Amino acid sequence: MDKYVLPKDNLSKFVSEMIGKYKVFAPVNDNNVTLFKQIKNPKEINLEFTNSKVPPKNLLFCQTETLFKFTPGTKGKIHPVDFDNGGRTVFGIRPCDAKSLAILDRVFKGDFEDPYYLTKRKNTILVGLSCTQPCLNCFCTSFNDSPASPEFVDILLTDIGDKYFVEVNSDKGKQLVKTMNKLFKSATEADGKKKKEVEKKAKDIITRFQKIDGITEKLDKIFENPFWETVANKCLGCGTCTYLCPTCHCFDIQDETTMTDGGRVRIWDTCMISEYTLQASGYNPRPARMNRVRNRVYHKYNYYPKNFEVIACVGCGRCIDSCPVNIDIIDVVTRAGEVKP
Amino acid sequence: MVDEKQLRDAVKKTISRDDVKYVVGYEKGTSGFLVSPTFAFTPGDADKFIFSPLCVNNLAVYPMLEDKPPLRKGEEPDTRKIGLVVKGCDSRAIVQIIQEKGLKREDVVIIGIPCTGVIDPKKIKEKFPGQMKNVDVKEENEKFVITIDGKIHKISKDELLAEKCKHCEYPAPVLYDILIGKEIKSTKKEDYKEIEPLEKKSLEDKWDYWEKQFERCIRCYACRDACPLCYCKECMVDLLDPQWIRRSVNLSENTAWNLLRAFHLAGRCIGCGECERVCPMDLPLMKLNKKIEKDIKEMYDYTSGIDAEEKPLLAMFKPDDPEEFIL
Repeated sequence: MDKYVLPKDNLSKFVSEMIGKYKVFAPVNDNNVTLFKQIKNPKEINLEFTNSKVPPKNLLFCQTETLFKFTPGTKGKIHPVDFDNGGRTVFGIRPCDAKSLAILDRVFKGDFEDPYYLTKRKNTILVGLSCTQPCLNCFCTSFNDSPASPEFVDILLTDIGDKYFVEVNSDKGKQLVKTMNKLFKSATEADGKKKKEVEKKAKDIITRFQKIDGITEKLDKIFENPFWETVANKCLGCGTCTYLCPTCHCFDIQDETTMTDGGRVRIWDTCMISEYTLQASGYNPRPARMNRVRNRVYHKYNYYPKNFEVIACVGCGRCIDSCPVNIDIIDVVTRAGEVKP
Repeated sequence: MVDEKQLRDAVKKTISRDDVKYVVGYEKGTSGFLVSPTFAFTPGDADKFIFSPLCVNNLAVYPMLEDKPPLRKGEEPDTRKIGLVVKGCDSRAIVQIIQEKGLKREDVVIIGIPCTGVIDPKKIKEKFPGQMKNVDVKEENEKFVITIDGKIHKISKDELLAEKCKHCEYPAPVLYDILIGKEIKSTKKEDYKEIEPLEKKSLEDKWDYWEKQFERCIRCYACRDACPLCYCKECMVDLLDPQWIRRSVNLSENTAWNLLRAFHLAGRCIGCGECERVCPMDLPLMKLNKKIEKDIKEMYDYTSGIDAEEKPLLAMFKPDDPEEFIL
């Protein structure tokens, strides 16, 4: 892995050069909510954030995506949409969110290849930014991940004081640095040591821990356990946890038409609402909130690991932070591990 | 201060009744300042019940969230009551639902708490960030007393008080079966000062303001699901045939959703502020609700959720109702 340093004074130049070449998405402050948005100027970036409210999955797996357009009626026609083939960078993505994209890849590259997601994924360079101040409900370390891990990004920047320590983790990353090599300096051993210190400090801030040892097998044994009722009683059935989850990827597809034109759109869906599983016959296999709350946990900690050998949670803590009634996935999974089958 | 022993005794007594299914109240949450709704099914469960200025949730939503699966042949419906711990505003939601015949009075056992104001979770999280251990919060002499790691912080109430409490005219439950503590009266008056700056804006600026807000909406419907008065069996946004609001998440559909919801709550919203509290995108939804509440108060001299015997605003007619808008 190539290692460099980027003096902080050069950051804005680095971003400007990227803006010249790519569509750049970065964390911005939108009415006190941090979101990843396309920026035209490095000044728009807000680096004073723990993590964005909505995960940057929405840049690749958009909340609303038009799959194709059509003219309705007997003389109807299908009009394919143009794929955005331009290069993109996501600047400031956190290591946990970058991992979530690697998790999403397994679905969108699975039985069917999804061109909408994969085109963007292929053209996107992830310029990660290490967490130096993880928040209260962060628990990426429970999955043996690190708030300063370069594993799932192309380039990782870590704030080590007056400069960023830069780890280049892929060919895409190498290419990017190569085109702007004037901005980077080679890293010294001391810089590397400093990064390790920053990383350790960040890890030490994380106090919450989710016990996941053997959770997949355990869940197989407690599907019918009354425990799930006790978890779900207080659930309001809103979609906050799933929409803000970086690994949730369920969607609905609908045709939206007027008299003269139409489009087939793909929209995020949420398993927390009853309509999600409502069948045309009127039958609903997940009729109660208990079924739905349980499904969220099973999908992440049982079905997904069985299918793809990875737990579909990265420990970003968003669902805990934003749940209106304090349904806390760390607590739920840890307690599920302790339930007597 | 609420006597928690008295509260727990009341919960125990209520859940011990044969005609009560469960009691909903508050317990400590999983971190710092969080409290969580909790359910007592046995008298033993009552021991975890608490009440402190952190108990912001409106629990009146729970009777309306009850899953009612179709009955099997010969099965009788469970008609047992639900016990609820309520503050002033929460009790108004119950009254409003009873007015609308969403619930019958005998469906609920109301454990009322005279409330002197709750803390805005966002404000306290900002003031004391990163609190993992549960924090004890009390109210003493117009101050919130917060004990963190043995250190006592006394913060003026105004600094942390939830917006909805600042002008609350009904701090004591308007309807209850058991009251924990003594009746209290409000000295506050709702003057709608909060919405004045927005009211003064030009139509264009108003649109501009709301567009910037609605753009952020992710349509998770947490506003709807946390709202005790949003209890339609079929919500218009879930309907597919006809489809009133498209599933596409964009400014146009988001605006339609948020405005339709606000209008649907006209004369019904009791101002508990749950929609705004739970909104993950921080949409200032109470500004919409408060504006409508103000207009209704001025035009019809009507306040929602006060008297369970009264008819809902949109179900009654008075000969002297203003009619300027009728051509």
